[in-house]
Amino acid sequence: MRNSNDRLANAFLANARRNATRRGLLGGGAKLAGGGLLVLSLGSLPRAARAQEATPTAGATAGDAPFADDVEVLNYALTLELLENAFYRDGLPAVGDLGTDGFGFSVSEQLAAIGAHEAAHVQTLTDVVASLGGTPVAEGAYDFEDAFASAEAFLATAAALENTGVSAYDGAGQYLSDPGLLTAAGSIVAVEARHASYLNLITDEVPFPASFETPLTPDEVLEIAGPFIAS
Amino acid sequence: MTVLAQTTFDAPVDVLNYALTLEHLEFAFYRDGLDEFAAEDFEAAGFDPAVFEYLGLIRDHERDHVETLQAVIGDLGGEAVEEAEYDFGYADVAGFLGVAQALENTGVSAYQGAAQFLIEEDALLTAALTIHGVEARHAAYLNGLNGATPFPDAVNPTLTPDEVLAIAGPFIVS
Repeated sequence: MRNSNDRLANAFLANARRNATRRGLLGGGAKLAGGGLLVLSLGSLPRAARAQEATPTAGATAGDAPFADDVEVLNYALTLELLENAFYRDGLPAVGDLGTDGFGFSVSEQLAAIGAHEAAHVQTLTDVVASLGGTPVAEGAYDFEDAFASAEAFLATAAALENTGVSAYDGAGQYLSDPGLLTAAGSIVAVEARHASYLNLITDEVPFPASFETPLTPDEVLEIAGPFIAS
Repeated sequence: MTVLAQTTFDAPVDVLNYALTLEHLEFAFYRDGLDEFAAEDFEAAGFDPAVFEYLGLIRDHERDHVETLQAVIGDLGGEAVEEAEYDFGYADVAGFLGVAQALENTGVSAYQGAAQFLIEEDALLTAALTIHGVEARHAAYLNGLNGATPFPDAVNPTLTPDEVLAIAGPFIVS
């Protein structure tokens, strides 16, 4: 589990890095592509519903489900939260003052608040996984070198991470079997979506680029990121 | 608004009609408000020209949510609730934005509270989550426009239908 979680975390990071690069290249033209890794376009809910319906029934064996139980879903979420937490914790001191946003807030202060949220999510998920008898995944080793190279790269990477996080939670929610855990996950993903909205806005992207979020499975994330993972 | 006056839901269609009730409210709010106020009114109130465009985009999202929920409820053999009559009570752009903030933040919390009643319906649950996230994006933006932090807490509050009714009910005339 440790290796696969590290692989997932690095896949997310690779996506963020690629997205940051793409934003840099395309500038304003990238706006309609969505705030993150929105390679899947959900034009209507019924279509999304059909696509999602196909997932659990595709192989008709339990081994094909991406998660064996609630603990695995939560560890998946924890993997992403650990990455996000480390990103803000280590990056904010590295990039210096980030100026003022269009609302008049200090961007550095807003991002510090986001970082604190990620730390809280890490703590909560770690506690819940342990309380369910599971082993919480630990923080991995991440390569943030490119992301911390400039304020622009940092913010673009942050936006990509947050938008991807929303898609990951949305894709995984259906695999939770405990209603209380589903509500708890909902209360986290809403905050990730708020972060994503803000980070899109301050990176000159549309804060809410589509009528529906784009759910992604772990496999989809890995598939998209595959070419960008060195080993 | 009997659909709001309940604490739980008997069937997926009931959950979706609860969501549709709120989406009707939101769509009517933006549709009528953005008809009443022009881009110049927002600029005169000190807002960037992009604000009017973004509010129009939010309106379009709410319309998409309404139409999608109506279609899904129809597909499930249910009867979709209709738009009601509303009185949002705003007199100017600032008042309009204040109501928008309340509606969006309430919408996020409402979806969050209702999602658990779709736990046996994977496709509908995922679809609801994809709307929930968009409402949260709207809420963050409207918080900012109103001078509030876009993300006030690490954990977004969850509301029951009763609690939502207490907030949204006063806007519903009939």
